[in-house]
Amino acid sequence: MTLVKDSVPATRGARRAATARTGRPGRRRENLAGYLFMSPWIAGFLLLTAGPMIASLYFAFTDYNLFTSPKWVGLDNFTKMFDDPRWQKSVEVTAKYVVIGTPLKLLLALGVALLLAQSRRGQAFYRAAFYAPSLIGASVSVGFVWRSLFSDGAVVDRTQTFLGFHVGGWVGNADWVMYSLVALTVWQFGAPMVIFLAGLKQVPRELYEAAEMDGAGALRRFWNITLPMISPVLFFNVLLETIHSFQIFGSAYVVSNTACGPADATLVYTCYLYQQGFKNAQMGFASAMAWMLLLAVALVTAVLFWSQKKWVHYEEDAR
Amino acid sequence: MGTRNLDRRTILKAAGASAATLGLAATTGCGGGSGSGDGTVTIRYSWWGAEERAKKINQSIALFERKYPKIKVKTDFQTYDSFWEKFQTQAAGGNPPDVFQNAVTFLRKYDKRGILLDLKPQVEAGNLSLGHFRAGVTKVGEVDGKQLGVPVGSNTMSLVIDKKVFRKAGVEPRPGWTWDEYFKALKTIRDKTRVPGDTGYFTIMYLYDLYLRQNGKAFFTDDGLGFDQADLTEWWTDGLGRVKAGVVTDPKVVQQDKPKSSLSAGHGASEFTWDNFTVRYSAEGDSEYGLAPIPTTDGKHTGQYLASLMLSASARTSHPKEVAQFIDFMVHDPRVGEIMGYDRGILTSTEQFAAYKPADAVNKEIAQYEEDTAKAGVLGTITPHPSGADTIEAAFLRIGGDLGQGKSKVSDAVKQFFTEAEAAFQA
Repeated sequence: MTLVKDSVPATRGARRAATARTGRPGRRRENLAGYLFMSPWIAGFLLLTAGPMIASLYFAFTDYNLFTSPKWVGLDNFTKMFDDPRWQKSVEVTAKYVVIGTPLKLLLALGVALLLAQSRRGQAFYRAAFYAPSLIGASVSVGFVWRSLFSDGAVVDRTQTFLGFHVGGWVGNADWVMYSLVALTVWQFGAPMVIFLAGLKQVPRELYEAAEMDGAGALRRFWNITLPMISPVLFFNVLLETIHSFQIFGSAYVVSNTACGPADATLVYTCYLYQQGFKNAQMGFASAMAWMLLLAVALVTAVLFWSQKKWVHYEEDAR
Repeated sequence: MGTRNLDRRTILKAAGASAATLGLAATTGCGGGSGSGDGTVTIRYSWWGAEERAKKINQSIALFERKYPKIKVKTDFQTYDSFWEKFQTQAAGGNPPDVFQNAVTFLRKYDKRGILLDLKPQVEAGNLSLGHFRAGVTKVGEVDGKQLGVPVGSNTMSLVIDKKVFRKAGVEPRPGWTWDEYFKALKTIRDKTRVPGDTGYFTIMYLYDLYLRQNGKAFFTDDGLGFDQADLTEWWTDGLGRVKAGVVTDPKVVQQDKPKSSLSAGHGASEFTWDNFTVRYSAEGDSEYGLAPIPTTDGKHTGQYLASLMLSASARTSHPKEVAQFIDFMVHDPRVGEIMGYDRGILTSTEQFAAYKPADAVNKEIAQYEEDTAKAGVLGTITPHPSGADTIEAAFLRIGGDLGQGKSKVSDAVKQFFTEAEAAFQA
C-alpha cells in the first residue's frame, strides 16, 4: 500500500517533466505504447468476455439447440424457467447454500482472525495453516477428497457412529449431502480471514486503551470498537463471499459425482445451467439462466450496498 | 484499496464467468480435414473409453498407417460423459471429428442435425464392405435406409451375478426363469447372506425396455415413448416396494459407491448391464462374477437384442474415401480384432470374430453368453432411438434413483419423467 502511494507522485512528476520536454507528440506516443501493451488484454476481453456475453444475451431470447440456428422466442425461456420444477429446486438449493454457508464461513474467519491477531509464538505458522485450504480449495481433487471423507463407512460416518448417532455417509443422503458442501466452503475460510486480519490490524490501539480505562469488558470492546471499526472490511467480505457462493459449481459437481446430487439435493444453479446447456443442448434456456443469475447477484449486491448505510462505518475522511 | 472498485469488478467477473462459458460454444469455429501437397491426408478419430482402450486403438492405427502411408490418423478420447459434451460442442461449431465412436442412442439425434455421413455411397464405391458381418449386426447402424454407422462390437443386456453369493444362498439362475422366480431368488439371497439381491433394476432404461418388449411394447417408438404413465407407475411402485423390503440395494448406498458399482462393492448380488461390462466388475471387485439369463414374463422371451458400438463419420469430412477405408480396416482387419478383443463388445465382423479367441475366463464367458443367447433364438431387432433418447436415459436413471431416496411420490416422479421426456424429444 505505502509503496504505491509513494511511487504515484514520483511517476506523475516524471511524466510531467517528460511532457514539458517533448510536448504533445511524446505524450501521444506514450499513450500509443500504453495501448499497445494493453492490447492483449483488450483483445482477450473483447473476444473472450464481451463477445460471448453479448452472444449469450442474444441466445437468452432464442430457442437454440447448438445445431440449428437460434430462433427468436422473446421471453419464453424466462417464463419457462419459472414453471420448471427443477429450476425452482436449483434456486432453492443455491439459496440454502448461500444462506447457511456464507455466514458460517465468515463467522469462523472472523473468530480465527481475532485469535490470530494477537501476537503469539508460531503465529506465522498458524496463519499459513489456516490459509492453505483456500489455496487448494478450488481444485477438483479436494472435491474427490471430500467425497471420500463423507461416504458411507468413511471417517465422518464412523465418527458419527462412534458418537452414537447413525446417519450413514452424507454423500448419498439427500437430507445431508448439502451440509458436506457447506462444510467444504466453511473449511476454506482462509481468504476472508486474511482480510479480517488486515482490518483488525488497522484498529487504533488507543481506542481499546481508552475503553479499558472506562471499564469496558472484552465483549463490550469487541461490540463497540472492533466491530464498527472493521465494518468496511466485514462488508467487503460479506459481499465477496456472497457472490462467490452464488457461483458454486465445482464442488457440487464433483462431490455428487457429476449428477448434482441424489434427489437433486445438490442441484445448485450453475449445475442445472450446465446440464441444460451442455447435456440437454438447450443453450437458449441456459443463457437465459445465466442472465437471471447475473440479475439475482446484482440485486443482492444492490441490497447489500443499500444496507451498508445502516451498519458500515467509514472514518470521516474516507467517505 | 478502493472497496467499491473491486466490488464492481468482481460482479462483472461473476457475470462474465457464466456468460463466457455459454459463449464458447458460439465461437468454436472452422476446421474440417486437412490435406497437404504430397497427397497425405489427416483424419481425426475420437472415442470414449479408458486408457486401456486407447492403447489398443493406437496399436491398431499403427497397422493402418503402415498399410495406407498417405493417411494419417489423429486421435482423441474422453470418458463417456465428457465425450458427448465435447462432441456436441464440436459438432455445433461445424468441426466434429472425421470418424468417431457412436451408439444407437445417438443415431437419430445427430442424423436429425445433419452431422452423420451416409456411408452407403462409400460401400457402393467399394471403399467399405458391409459383407462378412455376424448375423443382423449391420442393421444396428441403419436408419431410414441410410447406413449411419458400422458396428465394431456387439453386446446384449445380461444379468451379472456375484457367483459366490449366489452359491452361498443356493440359488441357480436358469434360462427362461420368470420375474417371480427372480424376485424370489433375491429374497432367498437377502435372507441367507444379508446382501440385497439386486442393485436397482428399476432405474435401468435398457432393462425396462426388455421388460416392455416381453409384454409387446418397447421403451421407444420411432419418435416417442412406447409406454404410458400407468406402465411406469406400476414398474416404479414395484421397484420401490422391493427397496423397502430390503431385497434391492438402498439407492443411498448406490450413490455412495459410485464410481464403483454396488455389485463390485459387495452391496448387491446381481446387476443388469451390458454383457461386455463384466470385465469391469472383475477389475473392481474381489468376488467371482458371471453372467446369467434375463428373467422373462412367459418363460420364453427375454426381449433381448444385439446393440452395438459403431464407427460413424462426419457429414462434414473432406475425405469421405479415406474415412471409409479407415472404418473398413478397423472393422475387418483380423489383426485389429486380435488387438482389440472384446473391449467394445463381441467383434462384429466374421474375420475379426474368427481371429480373436479369448484366453481369459471372463471374455470366454462373454463369448459363450452371446452364443447361447443367439442360439436360444430370443434376439429381436433394435429400434433406433429417437432424438433426445440420451437425455431421456439420464432422466430415467436420475428420477428413478431419487424415488428410492424417499423424496418424491411415484405419481410425481412418473409425471416428471414424462414432462422431461417430452421436452427432450423437442430439443
